[in-house]
Amino acid sequence: MSELGTVTFGLLLIAAAVGGAAVLTWFERRLLGIWQDRYGPDRLGPLGIGQVVADMLKLLTKDDWVPPFSDRFVFVFAPTAIVVAMLLGFAVVPFAPQLYVLDINIGLLFFLGMTSLAVYSVLLGGLASNNKYALLGGLRSAAQMVSYEVFMGLSLMGVVMLTGSFSLRAIVEAQRDLWYCVPQVLGLFTFLIAGIAESHRLPFDLPEAEHELTAGFHTEYGGMKFAMFMLGEYLGLILISCMITTLFFGGWLGPWLPPLLWFCLKTFALICFFVLLRGAIPRPRYDQLMTLGWKYMLPLTLLNLVLTGALALLLEGQRHV
Amino acid sequence: MTDAVTSLWPFLVYVVAVLLLVATMLGLSFVLGQRRANRATNMPFESGVLSVGSPQIHIAVEFYLVAIFFVIFDLETVFIFAWAVAFFELGWEGFIAVLVFIAILAVALVYELSTGALDWGVKTRAGAPRPESRQPQEEQH
Amino acid sequence: MLETLFYGAALIALTATAAALTRANAAHALIYLIVSLLAVAVLFFLLGAPFAAALEIVIYAGAIMVLFVFVIMMLNVGESGRAQEREWLRARHWIVPGILAAALLLELLLALRHNPVATSAMEVDPKRVGLALFGPYVLAVEIASLLLLAALVGAYHLGRHFIVRREDQR
Repeated sequence: MSELGTVTFGLLLIAAAVGGAAVLTWFERRLLGIWQDRYGPDRLGPLGIGQVVADMLKLLTKDDWVPPFSDRFVFVFAPTAIVVAMLLGFAVVPFAPQLYVLDINIGLLFFLGMTSLAVYSVLLGGLASNNKYALLGGLRSAAQMVSYEVFMGLSLMGVVMLTGSFSLRAIVEAQRDLWYCVPQVLGLFTFLIAGIAESHRLPFDLPEAEHELTAGFHTEYGGMKFAMFMLGEYLGLILISCMITTLFFGGWLGPWLPPLLWFCLKTFALICFFVLLRGAIPRPRYDQLMTLGWKYMLPLTLLNLVLTGALALLLEGQRHV
Repeated sequence: MTDAVTSLWPFLVYVVAVLLLVATMLGLSFVLGQRRANRATNMPFESGVLSVGSPQIHIAVEFYLVAIFFVIFDLETVFIFAWAVAFFELGWEGFIAVLVFIAILAVALVYELSTGALDWGVKTRAGAPRPESRQPQEEQH
Repeated sequence: MLETLFYGAALIALTATAAALTRANAAHALIYLIVSLLAVAVLFFLLGAPFAAALEIVIYAGAIMVLFVFVIMMLNVGESGRAQEREWLRARHWIVPGILAAALLLELLLALRHNPVATSAMEVDPKRVGLALFGPYVLAVEIASLLLLAALVGAYHLGRHFIVRREDQR
């Protein structure tokens, strides 16, 4: 694709990601409503989709309040960090063979780096608010995020081993014969859990455990800055779905339909799965969450690596003999 | 390399666009947002109760431990990253090397779990000396 | 194009580091330091070491700086800490080490002028890093893992004294 085309695609991608995240707020409420046998927001426009616009207008006209007792610079910086990090993460996702903003041979590591930067948003938001609940909430959620980040990268290494590259395009191309969700089912499982915990969605939404810490790290946030935290969360959800599609479900690969459509369909199915997960699983206690991360998921990812390595080498050896 | 760099500038435009978008969002809400000043507007929110004491509270040391364990394990994963990308080229020799590496990592993990360093809430670990002069920390479990 | 990007990133790194040094507020200094590290990652990438660039983000910006923020939050010193920091930023505290460091920098520049280091124009593929680490340097890797094990044990024993058991709180 020409450079101008890539630039245009990049701008479209930003619009689609942010728009998608906005629509997702409505879609999630509707889907959860159906799931729980109630309506959800269905008043404005067809199926209630006008709710998205109404919410946006409301958030824009809310009081743009920066607490006088807060650290102003950090207070404003924190919510922007997560939005920027998540949007940059989208740049390396290959939506179709020639449809991406940035194609580098460390695409996967770039994605991991961007998700690791998202922690700052939570930490600095809690720190800058100068509020006890916000501080405790920020620390708590940051401890959760880093605990799950430890095995997030490791859970993807099985995929990297089988491909022999960090390039996301090479990873998709390597799945022509078999999607990695079959040989890397353990990796998929652990990455799924790490991904949910990283974007702190239910059942891992302890950062916002409202009955324990009012609103956690964003207790003092309101209006657009609060909306940016939420936007970051929904962008994270979409990004994780895109990455799971790319890494485990063959990305754009699929018969008959155009590649981009395949990619979007798979991602959409994963997003629906994440939303329904929210409606199905209760929230664990904080100590249970940390125990799950360190005691079960981390050893499981290591086991996956060793198993993948041994099996792949054995099979490879047989092929050559 | 020049190839990689010339294909960089669409990404640069992308980065600038992202920053512009964020700036616009903040700017718009600053311009459009209503201003209000009630009696309690500028007070910290603590569930409707008046704020008592300073927010400079002491935090349980577990958080420090989690952070430092995270850094250490993150460093270890980086070595595994390097192995994973050259997995087939390294073959069995590399696999055995990484097996030793993972074994040492597993020892670290077992140690950390057996000492109860990451047990939240229930503190039943033995050997931790009583903190005579220290105030009880304010983190609740 | 390449040179513009390189010098732009270098300028950002220098400015951000200078800002990080002169901030009295630890959280502000940290944000500048993160920006500086990200700029260094860009430098690595432009010099043809993408793996090093990624590690710069994942390890330095994504892990070690997070630990720093954790410590800032845990100490949470507030205004007294900032006052102390401002005290340390006075010229008489840093002027002598500053002059010495400047002399060292001057010497380095002179040395570089005499034997210019040619940057290799080739790109170091992540795969080559893996082959080198687990090939000729495999012993170093295992030693590194032992070192990290020691760090972990040490960190736990430092922190252990501050752990308050539930029965103590009663």
